[in-house]
Amino acid sequence: MKKLVSLLLAMLMLFSSVAMAESVADLVKAGEAMTHDELVAKALAEEGVFTVYGNTSRIVTAVEAFGELYGIAVEGSNLKDSEIYTKLETEIKNKVDGADMVMIQDGASLQDIAIAEGYLVNFVPASVKANIAQDDQNPLIHQYINKVFIWNNKGENVPDITNVWQLTEPQFKGNIVFKTPDAEQVNMNFLVMLTNEEWSGKLAAAYKNLYGKEIELGDYENAGYKWIAEFLQNCVFGKSDTTLAEEVSQETAEGKLGLFVLSKLRSSSVYTENLTVGQYKATETNTAIEPFSGFMYPMYAMLTANPSRPYTAMLFIEYLMGADGFKPWGKSIGAYSPNGEIAPLEGDLALDVWKNTLVMEDPEYILDNYEDVYSFVNMYLQ
Amino acid sequence: MRNPILARQRAKVRAFFGKPANVILIVFCVVLSVLTLYPLILLFLETITVHAGKEARATKLTAGEFSLYSLERIFATSKNSYSELTFYEPLFNTLAVALTASLIAIVFGGMVAWLITRTNLKYKKFISSVFVFPYIMPAWTLATFWQTFFKNVNVGAGTSNGIMAAVFGIYMPEWFVYGYFPISLVLGLHYAPFAYILIGGILRNMDANLEEAATILKTPRWRVMLRITLPIVKPALLSTLLLVFASSMSAYSVPIFLGSPVRYYVLSTKMMSLINNYPGQGYIIAAVMIVFGVTILAINQKITGSRKSYTTVTGKSSQISLVNLRWMNRPIAIALTIVMVMVAVVPLLTFALESVIIKAGNYSLDNMTLDFWIGRDLDYLDQGDSTGILLSAKVLKALGYSLMLAVTCSLVAGTCGVLVGYGIVKRRNSKLSTLVSNLSFFPYLMPSLAFGAIYLAMSSRVPGLQGFAVLALIGSVKYLPFASRSGVNAMLQLSGEIEEAAVIVGVPWYKRMLRIIFPIQKSSFLSGYLLPMVSCMRELSLFVLLVPTSNTLLTTMLMQYSEKGWAQFGNAINLLIIMVVLLVNFTVNKLTGASIDKGVGG
Repeated sequence: MKKLVSLLLAMLMLFSSVAMAESVADLVKAGEAMTHDELVAKALAEEGVFTVYGNTSRIVTAVEAFGELYGIAVEGSNLKDSEIYTKLETEIKNKVDGADMVMIQDGASLQDIAIAEGYLVNFVPASVKANIAQDDQNPLIHQYINKVFIWNNKGENVPDITNVWQLTEPQFKGNIVFKTPDAEQVNMNFLVMLTNEEWSGKLAAAYKNLYGKEIELGDYENAGYKWIAEFLQNCVFGKSDTTLAEEVSQETAEGKLGLFVLSKLRSSSVYTENLTVGQYKATETNTAIEPFSGFMYPMYAMLTANPSRPYTAMLFIEYLMGADGFKPWGKSIGAYSPNGEIAPLEGDLALDVWKNTLVMEDPEYILDNYEDVYSFVNMYLQ
Repeated sequence: MRNPILARQRAKVRAFFGKPANVILIVFCVVLSVLTLYPLILLFLETITVHAGKEARATKLTAGEFSLYSLERIFATSKNSYSELTFYEPLFNTLAVALTASLIAIVFGGMVAWLITRTNLKYKKFISSVFVFPYIMPAWTLATFWQTFFKNVNVGAGTSNGIMAAVFGIYMPEWFVYGYFPISLVLGLHYAPFAYILIGGILRNMDANLEEAATILKTPRWRVMLRITLPIVKPALLSTLLLVFASSMSAYSVPIFLGSPVRYYVLSTKMMSLINNYPGQGYIIAAVMIVFGVTILAINQKITGSRKSYTTVTGKSSQISLVNLRWMNRPIAIALTIVMVMVAVVPLLTFALESVIIKAGNYSLDNMTLDFWIGRDLDYLDQGDSTGILLSAKVLKALGYSLMLAVTCSLVAGTCGVLVGYGIVKRRNSKLSTLVSNLSFFPYLMPSLAFGAIYLAMSSRVPGLQGFAVLALIGSVKYLPFASRSGVNAMLQLSGEIEEAAVIVGVPWYKRMLRIIFPIQKSSFLSGYLLPMVSCMRELSLFVLLVPTSNTLLTTMLMQYSEKGWAQFGNAINLLIIMVVLLVNFTVNKLTGASIDKGVGG
């Protein structure tokens, strides 16, 4: 009898969870067909606090402005991407009240954990669909962020690089700052990408251009590995891109170069005038940093699989994808909307220009090669 | 018909449960097993489970299946020297740091404890109240202070000069600024007050008659020290060694600040860097840390196994006569004062200074603002908050939450500590007592971060165990060792005859506790309440995975700010935390006469 009851209960639970998962997907489907006004009506009919997690600090500003606009109680939290994944796992597996939507980076983990496990659901608002490239729609990209070579322009010893192989030379030993790749996934993803055919090929060509001879690989699998090893050996590792930006911008930081988030230049604690952005200079002088001047990664905006306010989440995503919702990021350099109607900030370069000069993420390649590159990189982190 | 054997059994059981100590031990035995052993089993399961994401990719298995993959990676992978770099080297570093730190803590803390309690040292009041500062402050404050003070363009990231280089032109070498030496020293200084509290408490309360008797018999002072004082404080010394070693082993924030710039890894920092991508490997490191902790505990158990009884508080009165330091008095006092000012006061001034400057490294007046404290509409700063921390609803809410959590944890842990101490000491040498003693100490050996992760897993299996409930529970369990240690130490000093007199005249148990035992060792027990409270106020890694959002607690907010590099708000919040704790300390002191700096002593 007891067994029968427990079996029934188990089946009931299974059934209800399947039904629930279906219903979020159904809601999204319905939402994608709605106009803005319909979404608003549905969202305002929902109850409770609307909760979002994001690994960008400006998510809080955005969601508060959104809450004020529609008179909705909101709570925004700025968390690290790994924290968000951990939280999602607990909240969704156990149907605990938590986030309604998230903004998150690290496309590889997004694929393998959040999407494959069904923690996040994609939603593309009808009102902006036409303005966003197909590739950026699933999962929906809210913005691209770039980490680029930026150097201190004080003194005689300015590290005006034109080729990334220069960074592997002895004079850069201890003069490059980089956030430790095991502290932020996108930094590791960038290194992984360098080992693929495209980038290792470009690196080999750049080597030849700089030194006028073919690259000698020795024990390295390809030019990507060689560059990673020699670059990391010259690096000093920091904890926060803001701090790195501050440090490199000091008067005393002559000859220092960093690879960090461009948008950190917005911080009031950075001496922006002491810094030169490599790609800006290259564009101005019509030259290039071979073969890349940094890397770029998307920040995604998605619904959770267990939202208490699903339509509010959809409305918020619609808001984020528009000009008003992008404002918290768009008011300074280093954030690029995939929405064709939102132009980059004056003085900054267009998204397409960046895409051509930066290393972009390929989640599938990263996932398949992560362990090899990770353990390789590990050798140079200590 | 009544069965005589059964009746005797029943009588035995009744007699057993008739003793409050037995009831306490049984209850705690069950509760603590559930709260510590169950998570432990979960942890060991995690080490052989494949997790979604990168582990599943690498093993080509589905998440949830069992595999030895993580074990093999951690212990036996020679490709790219993986195991060596990921495990063996950090392990060696950890042991070196923990050992050095605990020695520094014991020697320094013990010495100051002796000076304060047994000598006529000058400036006692100042030294004793300032001495606990480093313990009240989050450990990373001293680490960040060390970094800002000694960093220079020749070491580590080396882009800017700290005060030492900028003002005095002294460039310290790398081994001094980063790595093994500063990590050990900072941890040692951080935990020295802990040694001071434990050892000082014993010294203060111990019967001076023994020493006096020896003095009357013309025993030289060093001999008194060696043969009487040291043996009496030996249990406290061992406890301290144990606690500091275990704490240093799982310390995370200090090595991340002072180790990572020169790539000096310890187990905790390695675990943190692994736990996101390769949770199985992270959990193995956590398990290794626990195994070490348990081994230490076992060794300690063996050494103090026979548990000589050190009854030091008896019904007789005792008077402490102070050692006269004579000509050494002032030099020692001045040297200590200088050290204390450097360790405890200068960092606070630095934080205050760093919280008002806009651009780092520029200390001119026009680069200063009070906006980070009391400003409004600060969007132009772009540092995560638009209001100064004293006006920010976000910060004040977190402050309230932190306080509520600290009070709850301290009440639960402190009360349990008194009870556990009573039970353990009353039934000393019984198996049950040893078991509960070990169980109640066990949470201490759990690295906070891993403990938090496991409670996260547990909270998902128990309905209602989220938010405040899970934070309060884990805090209470984690800090029980503090409380139970001071409970045990206090009870060990109490002679049985004190309670016996009351038992004979039939005073009920709760009354004996409330009216006799607690009042006599009041300050000792109260420190069992204070320690969890202070620890809770500045706890980070234990709660970080369990807080609803990073804005929930002041410390998680502080860490977020520090990671974001929002130094000014971070420094301001840091200072706020320290001030609150000092205020709590002061208030409790005024109300009850107990305080952390008085430690276990009256």
